Amino acid sequence: MIEPKIEPIRFEVIRNALSQAAEEMAIALRRSAYSTNVKTRQDFSCAFFDKELRSVAQAFTQPVHLGSFVRHVPIAVKRYGPENLSQGDMILSNDPYGGGVHLNDISLIGPVYYRNQLVGYTACLAHHVDVGGGAPASVGAFKEVFQEGIIIPPIKLVNKGKVDNDLFRLVLSQIRSKRETSGDFRAQIASNITGAIRIKEIIDRYGLEEFHLYVNEIIEYTDRRTRAEVERLPKGVYKAEGFVDNDGFSDDVVKLKIKVTIDEEGVTFDTSGSDSQRRAPVNSTFAQTFSACAYALRSLMDKDLPVNDGFYRYVKVNAPEGTVTNCVHPAPVVGGWETHVRLNDLIFEAMATALPNEVCAGTKSMQCHSGFGGENPETGEYYCFLETLAGGYGARSSSDGPDAVQSHGQNTENAPIEETESNYPVQIMRYELITDSEGPGEFRGGLGLRRDYAFPNETTFTVLADRDKAGPRGLFEGQTGSKSVYALIQNGQEHHLSSKTTVQLQPGDVISYRTSGGGGYGSPMKRDPDAVLSDVLQGKISIDRARKRYGVVIDIGRQSVDEIQTERLRNGG
Amino acid sequence: MTTAQESDHHESRYRIGVDIGGTFTDGTLVDSTTGRVTTSKVLSTPSNPASGFISAVKKLLSSASVDPSHIEHVVHATTVATNAIIEGKTARTAFVTTQGFRDMLEIARQIRPSLYDLQFEKPAPLVPRQLCFEVEERVNAKGEVVTPLDDHSLNQVVNQLASSDIEAVAICLLHSYRNPDHERRIGEAISEKLPNVIVSISSDVVPEFREYLRASTTVINSSVAPIVSAYLSSISQKLVSENVTSELLVMQSSGGVYPAQSASENPVFMVESGPAAGAVAAAALGSNLGQPNVISFDMGGTTAKASLIREGQPNITKDYSVGGAAQSGTGAFGGASGYPIRTPVVDLVEIGAGGGSIAWVDSGGALRVGPHSAGADPGPVCYGLGGTKPTITDANLVLGRLDPNYFAGGEMKLDIDSARESIRVNCANQLKISVEEAAHGIIEIANTAMVNALRLVSVQRGHDPRDFMLIGFGGAGPAHTVRLAEQAGIPKVLIPLGPGTASALGLLVTDVRMEGSATLIVRADQADLTQISREFQRLENLGRKAHKQAASASGAPVFERAIEMRYWGQSFELSIPAPNRSEIDQTWMQELTESFHNAHQTAYGFRANDEPIEIVNLRLTTVGKIARPQMLKLSITDTGVSIALKGTRPVYFSEESGKQGMIESKVYDRSLLPAGAVFSGPAIVEEPDCTTVVHPNWQATIDEFGNIIIQPKN
Repeated sequence: MIEPKIEPIRFEVIRNALSQAAEEMAIALRRSAYSTNVKTRQDFSCAFFDKELRSVAQAFTQPVHLGSFVRHVPIAVKRYGPENLSQGDMILSNDPYGGGVHLNDISLIGPVYYRNQLVGYTACLAHHVDVGGGAPASVGAFKEVFQEGIIIPPIKLVNKGKVDNDLFRLVLSQIRSKRETSGDFRAQIASNITGAIRIKEIIDRYGLEEFHLYVNEIIEYTDRRTRAEVERLPKGVYKAEGFVDNDGFSDDVVKLKIKVTIDEEGVTFDTSGSDSQRRAPVNSTFAQTFSACAYALRSLMDKDLPVNDGFYRYVKVNAPEGTVTNCVHPAPVVGGWETHVRLNDLIFEAMATALPNEVCAGTKSMQCHSGFGGENPETGEYYCFLETLAGGYGARSSSDGPDAVQSHGQNTENAPIEETESNYPVQIMRYELITDSEGPGEFRGGLGLRRDYAFPNETTFTVLADRDKAGPRGLFEGQTGSKSVYALIQNGQEHHLSSKTTVQLQPGDVISYRTSGGGGYGSPMKRDPDAVLSDVLQGKISIDRARKRYGVVIDIGRQSVDEIQTERLRNGG
Repeated sequence: MTTAQESDHHESRYRIGVDIGGTFTDGTLVDSTTGRVTTSKVLSTPSNPASGFISAVKKLLSSASVDPSHIEHVVHATTVATNAIIEGKTARTAFVTTQGFRDMLEIARQIRPSLYDLQFEKPAPLVPRQLCFEVEERVNAKGEVVTPLDDHSLNQVVNQLASSDIEAVAICLLHSYRNPDHERRIGEAISEKLPNVIVSISSDVVPEFREYLRASTTVINSSVAPIVSAYLSSISQKLVSENVTSELLVMQSSGGVYPAQSASENPVFMVESGPAAGAVAAAALGSNLGQPNVISFDMGGTTAKASLIREGQPNITKDYSVGGAAQSGTGAFGGASGYPIRTPVVDLVEIGAGGGSIAWVDSGGALRVGPHSAGADPGPVCYGLGGTKPTITDANLVLGRLDPNYFAGGEMKLDIDSARESIRVNCANQLKISVEEAAHGIIEIANTAMVNALRLVSVQRGHDPRDFMLIGFGGAGPAHTVRLAEQAGIPKVLIPLGPGTASALGLLVTDVRMEGSATLIVRADQADLTQISREFQRLENLGRKAHKQAASASGAPVFERAIEMRYWGQSFELSIPAPNRSEIDQTWMQELTESFHNAHQTAYGFRANDEPIEIVNLRLTTVGKIARPQMLKLSITDTGVSIALKGTRPVYFSEESGKQGMIESKVYDRSLLPAGAVFSGPAIVEEPDCTTVVHPNWQATIDEFGNIIIQPKN
């Protein structure tokens, strides 16, 4: 038998053409979508799976979808039965207990046929701004998943190229923001169609046999590179534990434990010892926990490693059923991402002694949702809005943590103020960095940010966030960043809110978010005094804090460091 | 093709293009009636680029013996703006915005430029936080004033600005695209108190919604404006003193040209001026040979640029970041590593690898090339101008690819011993290898980065490089192009005549184009047709006025109207050409909306007939056509190549075929190579401004335009 020959240039071309197909799916989805969450904040992902349902190429704007989406799609297709699908069909699914995550993330999956032969699947996931349930934007504290919105098992939304209007009306009637949501569904359909066209063009060019040969090689290539990367990681057992600050009903912290074992077998992530699941919105499905581990592993590898099935097979996760890291039906899941992202901080904390130059100190590590809705008096429609806010990033061994940026699995853009105010009845009053919110260190954590929303009408507002008890931790004598504050300002009076709560607002009320700063790295007494001076001149830290936390005395008149006083303060003066 | 203009100015038939790169300033003079081209190349003068500019012009005029008064127009491409941004040497600029939003530039889009890099950095804002100021005022999304502009707070800011020693101010207030009144009043107040400070107003620069992108574009505009306007006025004066009084035009990032006056006011449209010229030149060269699909590779002293041209047109993008990392694919976050601008830009990938890029050994013992460049001053070690760090040019010299006695046509002697010594001390010794091996390593490392740039514009965009021809130019390009083609799998290479100055040719084969826009944001079914008509008329008047400055250089203004539309609720518009009807009436609107539905169907696979459509912007491009110069044709001769053979010399090659080391190679004088000549590698082709390396296993042919076409043997 002749060994099939892989030609290097053709390999690169097909590999990149497939990635490009996924990218074009993302562009079609983004550009034709209606909700700010999809079109601007880019809370979606697209991918191509081969006929064995292995992920091959993906356009991921959000790392959180990295592990979750690729688990959900094969499970959904298998549940529906690939034999029940034909050309032009697309199935819809968001079932958390069918490989999914929270209900807002709805996947649309379409088989791709080439001359009547199944060649794979195009699939896209979008975070829908509303899926019904107890509060606008479908975020809030509930006790069962049934209260969180519509649960969609795999169902055929598009049948031989035609949308099933009965089904579509049934889904839409559960949803508040009907116009935006139907626009986003259309965009998802457009995305899958675009992907299928590109895939067929690639096969036109290279033939089906070559196509399958190279698709397989693309996965094997990633497998080889991943194996080499895993072998490079330091062998050992690494542990950390931490908390989600409350669960939305009880004020008790939710304990999380992680054990990372790196040995000849590979890398295993074990969450045994984490708290039992709660009748509260902090439960992570297995897909979400898997996604956290996949992201952490990917971050410790070569930056240009292409991710596909050849990578995922190396992510081994042991998350005991019935814990907050692998919840069972009917636990609510909408806040599962809070648990997911906190696990990321803990994994990097666990690895810090072994990989001090590759990890970062504690980051924002919360989703920090701000969701609201109500009747828009201008249009008479029920509208919903959702965004997530950035915070300070953790410091690294040789650089400060950047200010006001998303962390880990989350990389959603901010909603432009002009776009938000043009489409929703709200006015943003301020959007700024918070002075002195950084975790001090030789390298400091990033600053958190403040965003204030004023509402001219009655509005239902939900905070679904965290970090209101403790800020992100520092590393190696680096200090903790500031904690978050969520406040309702009513008639000039400020009332602090829980990090997981829904409130009914009156006209004129203001909601203020002040997000956490990042943890520091190394002792702040070792920070370069000129770096402290620069922060003071920029108004990022106060003169008082420079003295108290960094031992640096600033002569503001001369805009310089008072070296004698600093020396005295730092060396026990 | 006699026009009224030509009969008036019988002798005004020469056009000059000058392209200033990081290291060299290239000039091209074309006789637009005969197509005869004269070129010049002088060292750039980074401390005062105008002086290099005028030397290039003087050299052109004298070598072509043309009377300065016979110049039709001068077109200029300059990297003065982009260099200022990349090198952090922008003017000291302040930012003024609405109260509560001082950190708009710091927070930017709150995203990380790379998803899995825990060590990532956000680019530092172009305006430091202490120069960001807030004014008490607020306009809402409808353009209504919610909080009137507070005079006290305005005065306070103006006073702070006065004591901040600034050269420029960018003003971007919320919703100013709807209501520019407060921005204008703030601008006037600042100009009154600080008449020498350049003020850019976001509603003038890019009247589009989404505050951060508008603010970023405006900040870039203002922070380079003092540099650009001082520069352009200085070269205008110098031209006048050389008796060149014709129009000065400037290349824009989009590939069209505009008058110098417009460039001084809105320099953000020309930040990628030089690279655009190269892409336009490559498109013209390809089209001229009936090859509309080409990849352009332009390597100068400081950077290398690649762009892809399909169907004779470079790709244009409005999602562009200045100083951003090379984008992989159409990656959503590529832009987060630089400073976004919302002006049209030729889509290209630029990397820090040029003839002057410095080679060094890093702390881990790895040989690295760039991103630092020795530029023109001090330049490579072999220039003998004080450079001590080895560069790509030094490596090419050591490998025998450049002739120390025939650089810049022999005007400049290269010091090969110093180049060798520098590579030995800075690279070879640490790596414990020979000087030749180190020099070869430098070239191969640089080539790898450049091949990656070629892949980014082709393979990464889903195009097979084998379907394209690679056009190599720029002073340093042709020494590398064949090897790059070999590595990227490109089957055909073209090296134009005068490759060192080819991108200046791009300046002479494009039209005057000026963009104007008006934001409407109104549902199509509720739009006031007379308002649309009025706005287009207003934009035409503005365009006609701006065109006057370029009137002598181009034909009568032609207007291209387009309407940017989307389904009501979407955020991205499709640009729809206006229906070709004299009257803007109901039929016009019906045709327009039908075109939109169709365009949406083509772009995204569906149309939503029942959904309302929104008109976002009216766009009007004023075009002044410039006739293309003829390309001079050579007659094919059978004189053979021997008359062009200058001799042989050893050149270092290391090919996959196994040959390694110094191989005796033939050296040809390009000016003597006749059309129809055929020769094989290994060979070196020399001309005053450039050296072409033809690798073993490749064969070269000279075509009827004098281009070298190089293809694999057999």
